[in-house]
Amino acid sequence: EETGGDDEGFEYGKGGYAEHACRYCGVTNPACVVRCNVPSCRKWFCNSRGNTSGSHIVNHLVRAKHKEVCLHKDSPLGETILECYNCGCRNVFLLGFISAKTESVVVLLCREPCLSVNALKDMNWDLSQWCPLIDDRCFLQWLVKVPSEQEQLRARQISAQQINKVEELWKTNPDATLEDLEKPGVDDEPQPVVLKYDDAYQYQNVFAPLIKLEADYDKMMKESQSKDNLTIRWDIGLNKKRVAYFVFPKEDNELRLVPGDELRLRYSGDAVHPAWQSVGHVIKLTAQEEVALELRASQGVPVDVNHGFSVDFVWKSTSFDRMQGAMKSFAVDETSVSGYIYHHLLGHEVEVQMVRNTLPRRFGAPGLPELNASQVFAVKSVLQKPISLIQGPPGTGKTVTSAAIVYHMAKQGQGQVLVCAPSNVAVDQLAEKISATGLKLNEQSSLVMIMLDLFNNEMWRLFQIKPNSTVADTATAVTEHQQRGRDKSREKGSAVAESATKGLVKVGRCGIRRGNRGKEQPRRRRLRVTCRKRCSRIHGTGAEEGEQVVRLSAKSREAVSSPVEHLTLHYQVRHLDTSEKSELHKLQLLKDEQGELSSSDEKKYKSLKRATEREISQSADVICCTCVSAGDPRLANFRFRQVLIDESTQATEPECLIPLVLGVKQVVLVGDHCQLGPVIMCKKAARAGLAQSLFERLVLLGVKPIRLQVQYRMHPALSEFPSNSFYEGTLQNGVTINERQTSGIDFPWPVPNRPMFFYVQMGQEEISASGTSYLNRTEAANVEKLVTTFLRSGVVPSQIGVITPYEGQRAYIVNYMSRNGALRQQLYKEIEVASVDSFQGREKDYIILSCVRSNEHQGIGFLNDPRRLNVALTRARYGIVILGNPKVLSKQPLWNGLLTHYKEHECLVEGPLNNLKQSMVQFQKPKKIYN
Amino acid sequence: DEEVHFRQRVIEMDPLEEAEFEKELKALMQESLDSRKLELRARPTLNMAIPMNIFEGPTKDHHGRGGFEVESGDETLDEEPGGSKEVRVKVLVKRGSKQQTKQMYIPRDCSLVQSTKQKEAAELEE
Ligand SMILES: [Zn+2]
Ligand SMILES: [Zn+2]
Ligand SMILES: [Zn+2]
Repeated sequence: EETGGDDEGFEYGKGGYAEHACRYCGVTNPACVVRCNVPSCRKWFCNSRGNTSGSHIVNHLVRAKHKEVCLHKDSPLGETILECYNCGCRNVFLLGFISAKTESVVVLLCREPCLSVNALKDMNWDLSQWCPLIDDRCFLQWLVKVPSEQEQLRARQISAQQINKVEELWKTNPDATLEDLEKPGVDDEPQPVVLKYDDAYQYQNVFAPLIKLEADYDKMMKESQSKDNLTIRWDIGLNKKRVAYFVFPKEDNELRLVPGDELRLRYSGDAVHPAWQSVGHVIKLTAQEEVALELRASQGVPVDVNHGFSVDFVWKSTSFDRMQGAMKSFAVDETSVSGYIYHHLLGHEVEVQMVRNTLPRRFGAPGLPELNASQVFAVKSVLQKPISLIQGPPGTGKTVTSAAIVYHMAKQGQGQVLVCAPSNVAVDQLAEKISATGLKLNEQSSLVMIMLDLFNNEMWRLFQIKPNSTVADTATAVTEHQQRGRDKSREKGSAVAESATKGLVKVGRCGIRRGNRGKEQPRRRRLRVTCRKRCSRIHGTGAEEGEQVVRLSAKSREAVSSPVEHLTLHYQVRHLDTSEKSELHKLQLLKDEQGELSSSDEKKYKSLKRATEREISQSADVICCTCVSAGDPRLANFRFRQVLIDESTQATEPECLIPLVLGVKQVVLVGDHCQLGPVIMCKKAARAGLAQSLFERLVLLGVKPIRLQVQYRMHPALSEFPSNSFYEGTLQNGVTINERQTSGIDFPWPVPNRPMFFYVQMGQEEISASGTSYLNRTEAANVEKLVTTFLRSGVVPSQIGVITPYEGQRAYIVNYMSRNGALRQQLYKEIEVASVDSFQGREKDYIILSCVRSNEHQGIGFLNDPRRLNVALTRARYGIVILGNPKVLSKQPLWNGLLTHYKEHECLVEGPLNNLKQSMVQFQKPKKIYN
Repeated sequence: DEEVHFRQRVIEMDPLEEAEFEKELKALMQESLDSRKLELRARPTLNMAIPMNIFEGPTKDHHGRGGFEVESGDETLDEEPGGSKEVRVKVLVKRGSKQQTKQMYIPRDCSLVQSTKQKEAAELEE
């Protein structure tokens, strides 16, 4: 009942460690290994010397004082216990080969006594040439092969000391592994990450404990997040599932809920109602901190009760398990990544290798904007290298570049391309761009079906289409909606509606390209025709051959609608309506209606669903999913030679590894190590280096990222400081001052054509009510004034973003604005107030940054991180206002630079908004040079 | 199909460690020998029971008699002309009461084959 068994029947690492792998180094070649035949031992060892003077098997026999061995069944001699041909003695230290005098026949004979038996001398054997089985501390190499250099390099690099230690451990615990040697004590600091690793086992030894720490912390945090006395508002979703709405107040330093999270809702029971509980997943979060929880069980829900419910988090280890699994595959499965990538990722010195590919004539892709020079350069070099890093500073068209790369990779026909990113938002964005390059429809997955399904999908509500309306009505409604969306989307800030419209149009475009020719039933054909008309009107583009994109999402997220929903695997499965799939469809309908199936039907349903998913996934050219989803059992048997990871600087190394260990030969990591890295909750793990991304480590190892250099987001005045401070001045402007002109907006910018100022604030910081965060009342009051001025001048709420690094201040500003805002309360509610971190990867037309800290004796905390400052300064397209105390901030060298920059441009101001004056505030000397 | 090139890796061995290992190995060899000498005062009977038909060459089938089988014995055992680096031999093993031969390749410079070859050569000259 609990988790639905996402990963059932799935073994990590493609079967895990081979039983016959050398227990020291992991070599698995059957010709190279022998088994110790001592009944209490039976471990396998190889005949390579590795870093020791004796071979691994000889090392073991000597250290453990074991003396008998058996060959592998797939070795040239087959499964054979080595023993004296004459007396059956099995002591390998006594055995050797002799050969017959005239024929090439050899036998094993023991040195004592058989070799000295007189009678033997009369026979046809040449006893003078007894050849010992163990020679030069190694088994005879023609009997037990020495693993190739390649195999040895890829094996665990075990030292003599480690061998001694593990042999010692085996005396008390025969099943111990080398990893047990590394296990830190409870209070020990974990081993920190390093730049280079001897082998993937050492890599695993470092990262596995860090992932464990993070997992334990996450579990502890989430499971402690119980809330009691909740008031529930009941509803029923379109899929007839029960939905519970309740307010889940967010507190400082607590985890944010995200759609897809699982919660358990409980009711302890009363005189009339028995105790009840059900697990569900979050489908929606409103700005008012209201959570919509779709329940798994629809039976027995106490819908007539509204008060006294409790909720707790259902923690799932899936993502952490998949990271551990990926590291294991990386170590034990030689096919997990190519040899080149294996050594490269571990930091070994490998000679530069080029990928031999015919390069396309043009590097752009259909459906995407023209590429600029640095983007073309990036696409071109990436296609020729087995490993590349692309650094995309803010607004430089990272996603478009990635989509173009994926397009060309898919065109090379090397099999399916896997495209990942750490977050669902990033995956959706990229999937949308990739699908814009054109979709080549596949016979099985007729997207025409998806179009049809608008009638019973949630989308119809969005487009205000009634169920059972005609195709023509639908098309009209869509067009109308789109028009409405264009007119109103800004004002309403309904980005979702806009993307959904785009998504729908794309579905339409898919429809016109190529359906199941001649196979459609009349109704479908009619729809296609309608679509063609509509689409050519909306889009005006000719159909082009392209790729088919499948977007794979986590099971828990399957019920969460997304702008690229039509690309999702579960969506395509649900909406596949061919006759072969009618059985699946029937079961699906039954399941939707009843909420559950009989166990035999459920079994049938699951296997049909899996088969269909496979069919669709295999026929796609591109698979998009989050890094963690790449470890989904549904992809277990897929192989991807080419993998692109977007936002890779926001993923931990083991997370990045998940999509890589599916057979990668060509890796593209896209990101920006000058912006925020992965979020690590456990301080111990973060200190040990888990927060460093693979991208960053590769940069430190000397891999030079290809930098995209033209930014299309910021007003040139806004990009100047970030370019100089974070990108060595290389950032060029792809937008002109005129394109970012704020005509018609009456806002008191101190310098015309410089839509920026630093607003000097001297108000005191305070500790927030929870005691764990900060707030600053004067800054909050001035944020309200700035927002009001923007709104009065004609800016709409969705154009404004308020950024503050402290949760205490965030909550205070939201509260303050809605109570004291000079204009309609609703307007302020629509303004996004959030942390720097949650703005990463996004943009707003106007940004107001409230720094909060104003204490001369303390640090400036969060704002000390240059990467966070970079992100904060690069979100705005048209204008930015920073509120803070220069006296405090100037102590930090980078902030000192920023303040000096503003001052030099006469943008450091104070006083009332309608009468801003240059500030003469004195800066402090910066403490140390920022490197 | 894939080749990866490395800068040469130098493995540093701890000489103390090495010496200690060598000592233990020798001790184990000696102990094995000594124990056999004590254990088997009485010489064992010869139990080599080598089926003579093995020398007749593997071109004929040998089944049943003496429980002897030739496995994977196909062509003659002579090395290919031109002299490859390896020589094919038959390894004779016992599986319970059954005897079996398996083919193996031994490097030409192995003392085991060299003596045979030298003898053969000597016999040929006579
Ligand atoms: Zn053993
Ligand atoms: Zn080994
Ligand atoms: Zn013997």
